[in-house]
Amino acid sequence: MAGGGGGARKSRAAGPVPLTTTLVLDNGADTIKAGFVSDDKSDDKPRIIPNCLARDRHRKIYVGSELEKCKDFSEMAFRRPVEKGFIVNWEAQKEIWDREFFDDKAPNKCNPSETRLILTEQPNSLPSLQTHCDQIVFEEYGFASYYRGVGPVFNAYRDIQSISRTPQVSIDSPAEVILLIDTGYSHTTVTPILQGRPLHPAIRRLDVGGKLMTNYLTRLLSVRHFDMRNEPYIVNEMKEAVCYTSLDFKGDMEKTWKGTRGEKREDYVGGAGIAKDYVLPDSHTRFHGVVRDYEPGVSARARKTIVSTEDVLTLRNERFVVPELLFNPSDIGIRQPGIADLVKQSLLALPIGLWPGLLANIVVVGGNSLSEGFCQRLQTEILKRFPDECRVRVARPEDPITSTWLGAANFAKHEHASRLEVTKQEYEEHGAAWVARKFAAGLGLDS
Amino acid sequence: MNNFGVIEVASQKTKNAPGWAYVPDTGLTPAAAAALQPLNRKRAARDKANVGAPDLTARQDAKIRKDLEALDKDSHRDAQIPIPPKAGGSRGALSSKLYTQKRDHGADMTSAWIAQNKHTPNVRKILQSQKTFANHLDDYHAFLALAESNPQLAAQVNKPTPTTTARNSPAPSTITTASTNKRSSAASKRAAVTAAAAAAAKEEKAGSSKRPKTQPQPKPAPADDDDDGDVEMTPETTEEATAAADPSELLPPRPDTSTPLDDSTTETTETEPPKPQSYPPDGTILPAYARPPPVPHPGDDDPLLVSRVPPFPTDEELRALMTAPPLSYTEARAQWTEEEEGRYPVRRFCEVCGYWGRVKCIKCGARVCALECLEAHREECLVRYGL
Repeated sequence: MAGGGGGARKSRAAGPVPLTTTLVLDNGADTIKAGFVSDDKSDDKPRIIPNCLARDRHRKIYVGSELEKCKDFSEMAFRRPVEKGFIVNWEAQKEIWDREFFDDKAPNKCNPSETRLILTEQPNSLPSLQTHCDQIVFEEYGFASYYRGVGPVFNAYRDIQSISRTPQVSIDSPAEVILLIDTGYSHTTVTPILQGRPLHPAIRRLDVGGKLMTNYLTRLLSVRHFDMRNEPYIVNEMKEAVCYTSLDFKGDMEKTWKGTRGEKREDYVGGAGIAKDYVLPDSHTRFHGVVRDYEPGVSARARKTIVSTEDVLTLRNERFVVPELLFNPSDIGIRQPGIADLVKQSLLALPIGLWPGLLANIVVVGGNSLSEGFCQRLQTEILKRFPDECRVRVARPEDPITSTWLGAANFAKHEHASRLEVTKQEYEEHGAAWVARKFAAGLGLDS
Repeated sequence: MNNFGVIEVASQKTKNAPGWAYVPDTGLTPAAAAALQPLNRKRAARDKANVGAPDLTARQDAKIRKDLEALDKDSHRDAQIPIPPKAGGSRGALSSKLYTQKRDHGADMTSAWIAQNKHTPNVRKILQSQKTFANHLDDYHAFLALAESNPQLAAQVNKPTPTTTARNSPAPSTITTASTNKRSSAASKRAAVTAAAAAAAKEEKAGSSKRPKTQPQPKPAPADDDDDGDVEMTPETTEEATAAADPSELLPPRPDTSTPLDDSTTETTETEPPKPQSYPPDGTILPAYARPPPVPHPGDDDPLLVSRVPPFPTDEELRALMTAPPLSYTEARAQWTEEEEGRYPVRRFCEVCGYWGRVKCIKCGARVCALECLEAHREECLVRYGL
């Protein structure tokens, strides 16, 4: 990006000056959010790069952002370096990073020896994976300095009160108290944050994320309509387009039932506002699916004539059963509490005096929160589980996917960043174990 | 004594006749009473069926597990996508830091090109590793188990490569979370690991005296910054913290434990630090609310509208929470506690259309909603025998 390139060139010209450029990298399982932050010129929003190697049906391979050039997404296969939220396969990850940041023609070219890296990771990582990450950053790329921090925590450096629309005079940075729910591709986590420090004993994880939901939708479609098991991209697109979080699960379920044999239920025939038609891409004229309102008037025979030209799926309860997994994982046999009980379990690990503050400042980030009705449903579910007197507010930033990156960009300018970072020299002096301990200890207490 | 005319013949010999015995009848036990007269017949019938023929037979259980594994996969088929070769030849311009430290970029490119495959041993090992996340997790668990059974050996395993495998399980973890016992036991296990590894790393660092083993030793004030280069260690979570988080306190705060607040509207809970008075005098971690109070409201003095706010945690508690080490991957996974497990019945859905699964297939126990779906299910029910 222009800002990044400019920053790097500038510091190169100036020689070994104090670091001005920071590469902020939110390395998600589905997409990388990356951009540069420097004193004079910063990216105001990150570049979103697919974090995968993809292969289309002509066996052409796309790496990272090359995927934009791909048009036909049928039978796309993906290989992802990030597994369960953590970078596991460094062979693939390095290839993607190289192409995006370090090669000659890389879109976000930077020179690591003159750049600071701020990298996000998911909470509760495995020590061995953290060490691998630190070693690659310093020994392979040689970044001048580096901080690896828990992703959700960076959100505390955003202007949280404006997200929840509280009128206020001054902005706290980091925010005093937040309960952050991050619902992403691999899993969903709940992180209470106090003054920019995560309360580790209360972090909880639910192993339901976007990937699982896409796979579940794939299964439903394969049972009821077509075999879509080789079309993860198309199903994911469909999920993002049509799925919503139901505010009245039982009611919606009744509306979408076809009824007993021979029965013609009005809601079913008429669609009840829930049924939608989804036109699948045909790889010739249309490369992306299209959502259409369900047309009850179109008779079966009329449909048949259309079918010759396009494949249409009528989606009914598939639309809300899929996001429902976040609230009731037991629906498919996962023995874990839903997201609202996750919040409750997290708060049970904390003194009761912190509850009012945390409950009034719940912030939701991550792609799954984009499903319609998610925040409202979450708020009602949480409300049911706590004393009446607790005020519950659930807020979602306008940009839940890049929110962590934006927070991390603010963090890069904050004095906390300089306190937490580790320089390459320190790494060489003290070793990887020391670095890991320093990152794990975090900010300490003074504020 | 009314013995109903039965005369007992004294005998020293007892004989256990098979099949029946006299037992004292002490009245109805709750369990027996429930069996005789269930409160909710439907539920009782369901529960009874569970005892006789479990709703989830082993086969269905296996199926669910298999399904979940499939849902967890990245792709339907294992995609073996090789890394494509670079076009143009110039790759990995900065692959070796040794070369990039030169300022001359022209020379830099060529030398980097030559040194394309020159990784440090650590990096080479990482790049060649084909381990999956599950492998790493198993390794971690194996290491924990080893540390528990044989700390000496675990320390040795860790020792030879201090910078590669590293002991970076972050800090001692004697934290006890009130909610589950499992977590705390696992945490103490981890503490054993850290203790072992600390022993291994003793010569590595002179400052290891700062590393507490597992003694619960509340530190008055932890070192506030990391500038000295050593990590800051954590005291145990104080007992108060865990006590306050006791599940029994889920009830609305009782008046005797709370400080009544009467200076503002019912929305005081929103502004998190409600009133300076509710703080301990040395409350410095979360400063008191210093902004102008909300606009006065005529109902402010109404005793019926008073909000009760639970007492704010002391600085000690907050300090312990904020400096506590991270939980491990398994500990952070949310699980039902024992009393919550099965509190609500699991919802079952029709396997064909997704509506409520009201009817069970006689052959395989799969749920369907009504006849139409049952017929659709039967067509494939036979085929699925070998599942």
